[in-house]
Amino acid sequence: MISPSPRNVDVLVVGASLSAAACAKRLVDAGLETVVIERKKLPRHKVCSGILSPRGHRFLIENFGPLPREVLHEPTSCTGVTFHFPSAPSIDIDFFGGPTPHLYRKQSDWWAIRRSGVEVQDETSFARLEAGDGGVVVHATHRGRPQEFRARWVVGADGPTSMVVKAVYPEYQASIPWFMVGQKFHQIEACPLDTRYFHFWFHPALGHYTWSHARDGRQIVGVGFDVGHNFDRAHANVVKYLGKRHGVRLGPAQDSEGCGENFGLSLVNRYVFGRGRVLITGQAAGFLNMMAEGMSAALHSGAICGESIVEAAFHGEPAQAVYRRHIASEVRRCSDQWNPLQIAFGRPHEADFWKALGPLGIGERAKVIAEILAFIRLYARFKWGREILGQAVHRLIRGGYDEARWW
Amino acid sequence: MLLDPRTLRQAAPAATAHRDGGRELPVEPQARGTIPPDPVGPDSLVGIPRVQTNPSRWNGASWDAFVSDLARAGVDVREEKGTRAAFVTDAGGLAFGMPHGVVTARSAEQVAAVLSAAQARRVPVTTRGGGLTTEGESVAFGGLQLDMTGMSRMVWVDREKMLARVQGGMFWHDMAEVLRRQGLDYISAPLNFTSSVGGTLAVGGIDVNACRHGCSADQCVAMEVVTPTGQIVECSEDRNPELFERVLLGYGQFGVVTEATMRVRPYTPCRMHYLFYDDLRTAMEDLIVVVRSDATDYSGILTMKDRANNLLFAFDSEEREKDFFANVRPKLRGLTEMQFAVRAAGFYALRPWRIEEALWLYRRKKLLLPEFERPEHLRDGKMFDRTVVFSRAVWRHWGNRTMVIPDLATSEEKFIEAILRGNRVMRKYFAHYTLYCVAIRLSGNRPRYEMSCIPPDARDWAYGCEFEPMFEPGEYSRDHLQSFKNAIYDVGVEMRTSYYRFGGSMKGYIRRVFGDAVVDRQLEFKRQADPAMILNPDVVF
Repeated sequence: MISPSPRNVDVLVVGASLSAAACAKRLVDAGLETVVIERKKLPRHKVCSGILSPRGHRFLIENFGPLPREVLHEPTSCTGVTFHFPSAPSIDIDFFGGPTPHLYRKQSDWWAIRRSGVEVQDETSFARLEAGDGGVVVHATHRGRPQEFRARWVVGADGPTSMVVKAVYPEYQASIPWFMVGQKFHQIEACPLDTRYFHFWFHPALGHYTWSHARDGRQIVGVGFDVGHNFDRAHANVVKYLGKRHGVRLGPAQDSEGCGENFGLSLVNRYVFGRGRVLITGQAAGFLNMMAEGMSAALHSGAICGESIVEAAFHGEPAQAVYRRHIASEVRRCSDQWNPLQIAFGRPHEADFWKALGPLGIGERAKVIAEILAFIRLYARFKWGREILGQAVHRLIRGGYDEARWW
Repeated sequence: MLLDPRTLRQAAPAATAHRDGGRELPVEPQARGTIPPDPVGPDSLVGIPRVQTNPSRWNGASWDAFVSDLARAGVDVREEKGTRAAFVTDAGGLAFGMPHGVVTARSAEQVAAVLSAAQARRVPVTTRGGGLTTEGESVAFGGLQLDMTGMSRMVWVDREKMLARVQGGMFWHDMAEVLRRQGLDYISAPLNFTSSVGGTLAVGGIDVNACRHGCSADQCVAMEVVTPTGQIVECSEDRNPELFERVLLGYGQFGVVTEATMRVRPYTPCRMHYLFYDDLRTAMEDLIVVVRSDATDYSGILTMKDRANNLLFAFDSEEREKDFFANVRPKLRGLTEMQFAVRAAGFYALRPWRIEEALWLYRRKKLLLPEFERPEHLRDGKMFDRTVVFSRAVWRHWGNRTMVIPDLATSEEKFIEAILRGNRVMRKYFAHYTLYCVAIRLSGNRPRYEMSCIPPDARDWAYGCEFEPMFEPGEYSRDHLQSFKNAIYDVGVEMRTSYYRFGGSMKGYIRRVFGDAVVDRQLEFKRQADPAMILNPDVVF
């Protein structure tokens, strides 16, 4: 079944997630011989809230067709986000254009990959890469056996803990802050939280990222915690709070999972896009929208990565340079979501926060803003303030973010 | 597990599915043209139909058998990568697709052999003339690319009836070359060197004289068409009129135009005039006055952003020119170039913070205006080939490898509001841009206008505007450009207008703007004419 080593391809994509599918779609459409390798057996499980933004939903339809029921959880959609505060009233913020999909990542990613038409080889781990003759030699392991690919271009679409990023920038991952998030699945005894919404708590005592939503008849309670800290304790604290504040009564947790996130790169415009013939995309490159929604940015950046390689292939330009020119618009869109000037005066999100504040009285509005600011103080220790402000001013004057800050 | 599309070719395509925990996951797309219910929720993405607009690449099932069929019929299919790669994108430069093979059309019989084999083997066939589509309509996402440029001859010219018979793949410019040796000219054609007659008839074809003569498709009196099932049929208003009306403005869904009989006229150079406006709305109001007066032979608006708006008009004869200046010019509020320059200098002197815009306008004027007055195209103040002048200017000074020109086509009543709204979108997305507006005269109420660039509520004239971004100072990703196009087209949906071009990657808008009843009727016609849905399959349905 496996081709004899080494396998020559136009493009090797590492990872079989949404950014990989979007990238592969562009490459396959243009007739480039493309192989996707995936470490796990497909379809594979993925830790994710699955709440895709409307823009991402539209991208999926336009590129892969209408979503089949099997790629969605129950409830199948999410109307918006509810923000909760320690004392200010909770506010519902609806997504533009109606509810948005609640993706079952195990099936949605597999569906998108297959709809892209790309050749997939799963149970194949990326090990290392080196420059080859007019391309890149990638060493991988397929079910314990070494395998070699020779590709004209390599795309790293393998998520926050990207092995491709590690291979290209060995020092990078130790240089950025890491955030841990964990979630547990509970049987529901009584839950007054509206199942149509994704719930988020601006509560400094609970943690830097605290959320809850319904999935397939159970309630997810998730919390962010520092590396080395105790997830169970942070989680128990949230469950207790939900009971006291919202009257949520949950059975014991049945499943538990977590992952590390490279959060913060889109805030301070420190994306990592690769070197030479190796391109990095999706969350591996640092794309993460507000509310930690990475899927829509992964889809769009993946597509831009694919387009750039196609353009390079047909016009003989260096793909890396094309990619960095083209990715600027997605950087603008993603970093705008964290840019205080854009939040105050533009409308960078796919929901209107200021409009949702409308029905509240002036005193309540002030309380909401004050409690959000108090919550943001949790992040003060990263000392991003000056960088964010610097980038916001750069955006204001130059119309874009500083490309010199990209890795 | 290994999933290799090359092995999938052997599988029955409709049955390809993956089993997961006892659940079947559909792999193949829905039947073409239909829209399934969305399990996400009925109120999700309100107004946006569930249409895959970036088509899946055809999986190649039955390709080898198809090529053998054609070899037996004496048709040569080129499959080498170098040939196929020449067709990888269109003028839009945003859609990329690679055909499995290419046939260069030589005769109607050969095209018929291709289409009947494709129908039997269910192989998608994408036709291409000059490849001047902007949304990937002429890009083949697998299957066969039918390159029409092999059929590029003038068949005959009849000076008495003022008709010319041309092959479908002939470029308008080549047609003009043949006609002008005999003192003749085409009536109206796209302002572009390399658009083909057949391709133009399928979408419209807008010239600066469309205000007087209508779109190019309305200049056609008869056609030889190869239907999607491979019949060669002659059609006109009297012979097979239904087919005639479907193929004209039919987006290539109902047949391949192999020959067309076009009305021609005596060749005349034209004398151009320009008026300048600093206000876009005033310029548009004056365009309507000019069009309604029917006193010019050519008219249009060309702008630099919305600050320098140029109302251009031209005449084929001196009598009409005199008439116009006596009767219509006094009603217009446009300025001469000098008056405009003085006004603009005053405007920017009071607004020094807009110096960058002022400088850009000045540089643009210095670059562009001489292009329209190049001595090799002018004699005694008359322009000798407007197509050369405009085409050259367009390709040198607008766009780059990507031509992004979304548009709105409206009735007279909606024209000004639609364009002003589109202009706001333009300002949001780009630092620099051009708008290009013209009117299109309708020739009565014809079936061909249904689901076409002629909006359903237009009477006498339709008005259109192209929104053309400039790519300096930066480059933009396809995603940014697509979002921009969506935003322009959203204006069309909200105002119930139409578009000059709405196929390919913009086909998601077809149902939104024309409504289900119209689209389903057209879809039924398509299914009858093309049972396997193989001809230009990703363009409309």
